[in-house]
Amino acid sequence: MQTNKLRKYILISGQTEMSNKRQPKIKFKANALQLKKSMVVLGSMVKKNIKNQYRRSVLGIIWTVLNPLLNMLVMWFVFDKIFGRTSSGLFYPVFILSGTIVFNLMRGATTSSLPCMVTNYDLLTKTRVPYAVFPISQNLSALVNFGFSLIALLVLMLCCIPQGVEFHWTMFMILIPWLPSIMLFSMGISFALCSIYVRFRDIKHLYDVFLTLWMYVTPIFYSLESLKLGNTINTIMHLNPMLYYVNYVRQLLMGVVPDAITHAICYGVGILVFIVGFVIFRLSRKKFILYI
Amino acid sequence: MMKRNKTEKDERIAFAPGMKEIDIDAAEIMQQSTAPPDEYAFDRDNDILIDVHNVSMKYRMPTEKIDNLKEYCIKLVKGQLRYKTFEALKDVNLQVRRGESLALIGRNGAGKSTLLRIIAGIIEPTDGYVRTRGNMVPLLKLGAGFEINATGKENVFLNGAMLGFSHKEMQKKYDSIVEFAELGDFMNVPIKNYSSGMLSRLGFAIAVDVNPDVLLIDEILGVGDAIFQKKCAQKIDELRAGGTTFIVVSHSMAQINKLCQKAVYLKDGTIVDSGTTLEITRKYNADCDAIARAQITPKQGNESK
Repeated sequence: MQTNKLRKYILISGQTEMSNKRQPKIKFKANALQLKKSMVVLGSMVKKNIKNQYRRSVLGIIWTVLNPLLNMLVMWFVFDKIFGRTSSGLFYPVFILSGTIVFNLMRGATTSSLPCMVTNYDLLTKTRVPYAVFPISQNLSALVNFGFSLIALLVLMLCCIPQGVEFHWTMFMILIPWLPSIMLFSMGISFALCSIYVRFRDIKHLYDVFLTLWMYVTPIFYSLESLKLGNTINTIMHLNPMLYYVNYVRQLLMGVVPDAITHAICYGVGILVFIVGFVIFRLSRKKFILYI
Repeated sequence: MMKRNKTEKDERIAFAPGMKEIDIDAAEIMQQSTAPPDEYAFDRDNDILIDVHNVSMKYRMPTEKIDNLKEYCIKLVKGQLRYKTFEALKDVNLQVRRGESLALIGRNGAGKSTLLRIIAGIIEPTDGYVRTRGNMVPLLKLGAGFEINATGKENVFLNGAMLGFSHKEMQKKYDSIVEFAELGDFMNVPIKNYSSGMLSRLGFAIAVDVNPDVLLIDEILGVGDAIFQKKCAQKIDELRAGGTTFIVVSHSMAQINKLCQKAVYLKDGTIVDSGTTLEITRKYNADCDAIARAQITPKQGNESK
């Protein structure tokens, strides 16, 4: 009706006038405060996550270093001693461990982010915490775990110096050009998964299966070159972004700086996945509360 | 209700060139409206802490709950995805000034909790907006965000972080929180071993000790034993003397009369009436009596306690 029409018109004209002057200032202040709050929450949630992992265990935080090492031993026993595969270039235990910790960074971040909207139901509906805090905190926890895994890798490499393992300065490049790219990648996946999980709980089971597949197609305990694959399957294997992230780290460990194309792929995929994931998250954000 | 707040904008519209026909319409609306809320009052007046402007909340609810992909696809293909819209709030306008204590009254499903959650910024309204000032602590559920495996002490800091306080700031408040919650030796015990009373005491102690500017309370005041309740009442009086603003949702009229000066009566998502607490609670009680009588269940009697 006429009143309705009038109302629409007024709303539009009113908004332009408001946004010119007064609104942004308040908004900015509020956002700054909100950001500070989010940071505090983020910090304490990461701390909580790490602590919860090994609560009530005798060795506590040492497990974060011990765990990847023990896993590596199992894989080394199975794939080196039983199947008798060898790696190209790197000492085999170092080869396995480097692949495992890279894949586990992504896997840990995404699997724990997947149900985070639902498990934090209480916080979501009763307190005022920005939603993005939950997947980001899970990713940061995975990052901290990765830090401990790096220590495990260092320990292993030190132990294996008699076997001919060498240290190269390129190792430091794991921290700066490489780490942000895979964090973008896993955060994008996390954002997408946790928003879908709110609506469809099936995604958890699908993703579990998918992760198993993903782990086997990523050269963690074998190297692609040693497999002598056919052309088609080789191309398909090269579509896996994790391949590049894993190879990147291994090249650094061998003292080789990866070429520009590898950099481009790692960052290109990382940024693309992050944007897609974040857009999905933003779009479904408002509906979380209705579906949980 | 819908027309109340347009007048301010209407005045502006009236000066715009070429808007004559709407102008007449606007004048008509202006006559009907009683007290037009001022859109810019919030910016001018620092004492207005909460400005709820034309807020509507519509839920689109699926007629059946579908939470797996298979069912969703089947229903999508069959064209059986039906939703009904449920309007929890319709064009609600509200302004709360510093130091005021406001009660939201209404029957179950009137939209009180939804309004409180929108004010707290937990959900976004589908229409309209809410602007707030100052540090707001929503107390919608005691111990929301408690980590069941962590100790009481760890939870104090975790919960403090949720309210926007760093570890250092919470350190200063820690002792008084423990004292208020009367938990002493239990602070180093995981809270999964706490009784429900201990949990709510801890939650309440943290919430009131952060000295909020605005405290949003949703039916949680009846926690603990009689002594603790007295302590709570005393603490709330203290806060109020210190200028804290309250918004309270409760079904206990006695509590509301004690705590609040003003009240808003919500019915089916709209504000039916607002005024002093005494007036509104009386009106609400009378309405409830009438409904109860109409339902011919004399043994249930008065709905409000």
